Amino acid sequence: MSLREAIQYSLMILLYLFLQIFFMRNIVLFNYAFCFIYIAGILLLPADMDRMYALLIAFAIGFIVDVFSNTFGMHASATVLIAYLRPFLIHYQMKSRGAERAEVGIRAQGFGQFVSYIFPLILLHHSMLFLMEMNNFGMILYTLIRIGASALFTTILIILLELFSKR
Amino acid sequence: MLQLVDFVVRNRFFLVFVLLEVLSVWLIVRNNTYWGATYFNTSNYYVAKTLAFSNSVRDYTKLNEINADLASENAHLHAQVARLSQTNATQSPAGYVPDSAFAARFTYTVAKVVDNETNKANNVITIDKGTAHGIKPGMGVISATGVVGKVRFCSEHYSVITSILHSNFMVSSKLIRSKEIGYAKWDGKDPNLIDMIDVSKYTKVFKGDSAVTSDQNSVFPPNIMVGKVETVAVNPNQTFYNITLRLATDFRNLSYVYVVQNHQLVEQENLKLRTIDPKK
Repeated sequence: MSLREAIQYSLMILLYLFLQIFFMRNIVLFNYAFCFIYIAGILLLPADMDRMYALLIAFAIGFIVDVFSNTFGMHASATVLIAYLRPFLIHYQMKSRGAERAEVGIRAQGFGQFVSYIFPLILLHHSMLFLMEMNNFGMILYTLIRIGASALFTTILIILLELFSKR
Repeated sequence: MLQLVDFVVRNRFFLVFVLLEVLSVWLIVRNNTYWGATYFNTSNYYVAKTLAFSNSVRDYTKLNEINADLASENAHLHAQVARLSQTNATQSPAGYVPDSAFAARFTYTVAKVVDNETNKANNVITIDKGTAHGIKPGMGVISATGVVGKVRFCSEHYSVITSILHSNFMVSSKLIRSKEIGYAKWDGKDPNLIDMIDVSKYTKVFKGDSAVTSDQNSVFPPNIMVGKVETVAVNPNQTFYNITLRLATDFRNLSYVYVVQNHQLVEQENLKLRTIDPKK
């Protein structure tokens, strides 16, 4: 990765963190749909990135969000999980498509591929987050609705931001 | 040995992954350790400053409601002063002389809400007063309209409050008309509603009755509003009502709160401890 790319991606991560901490934390649709836009910072990292760095960056991002929302380590653990699983999904998709270079992004992958790449990871991240936050098992249905609604909301926002960003 | 090194090198990603997961779970479980409580939450000075900045914009748009709340509180206090000046210690028998230190045991500190959450399963609030202003963990927090929560962590200038919308928080409350005492506890769903548990079903409970903090509270002063009875249900298998209260405080618009300090709390708690440990 060149220095220029490194700076570009760090700025991207900072931008998503800024969005999360200042805006998205206040936005909740119908008391169900939350948006955790910051995970786009992990999802949109280059596909050939060193996995060790990706894990450490994911932990750092999650931890910063944790500090700002008093959740101690929930965001960190969920984000590390998707950072770990991400290369497997990219690899699998690349194989099934028959491409020789792994790339991430709505332009490089195409709309369908992109959604089928981000949605499972977002769903996983949100499930882990909300299930950890759940206090008692009686809230399971309520939590499941929250997971679904939030995953949809986050996916739509990431796609929108990705469509309007020129890179 | 070489095999072990080989194993570590081959699985280094997985090992780092497990390490980081264990670290974060440890953070969650041990969230009460000193350094965790001091630095890694919104009572951290820089974090709170950032949130205060982002909150200041929203605050400006809410000035109307804040004004209305303060005006209504003023009216309420006037009424209380008038009532108190007429009758002293109404419920006590004739011979009871209230101790003046006991009557004046609560003092209040005004604080501004820096960060507020209502939508999670466990909600906390950050305020802009800390140990420098005499605030300590365990103090009660009320607002102009009712009960808010209890102080959890303090830094020098900021504190984190466990809101009443938190799974580990209960308030001993009393229904005014039926004079029944129970606990108010949040079920984790709607931030406007709260459950009241442990109210015996052999008394009559009225819809619209007010629930206030009871006299058996060491953290909150008595007769602070908690909410109004919204629904009452009876489960035939149980001896308790299922009561839902509509909260008096609108947590979404919370801007100023009062931290309640009970000067006799330590004395009261120490006395209680003696009953637990009879050797001393």
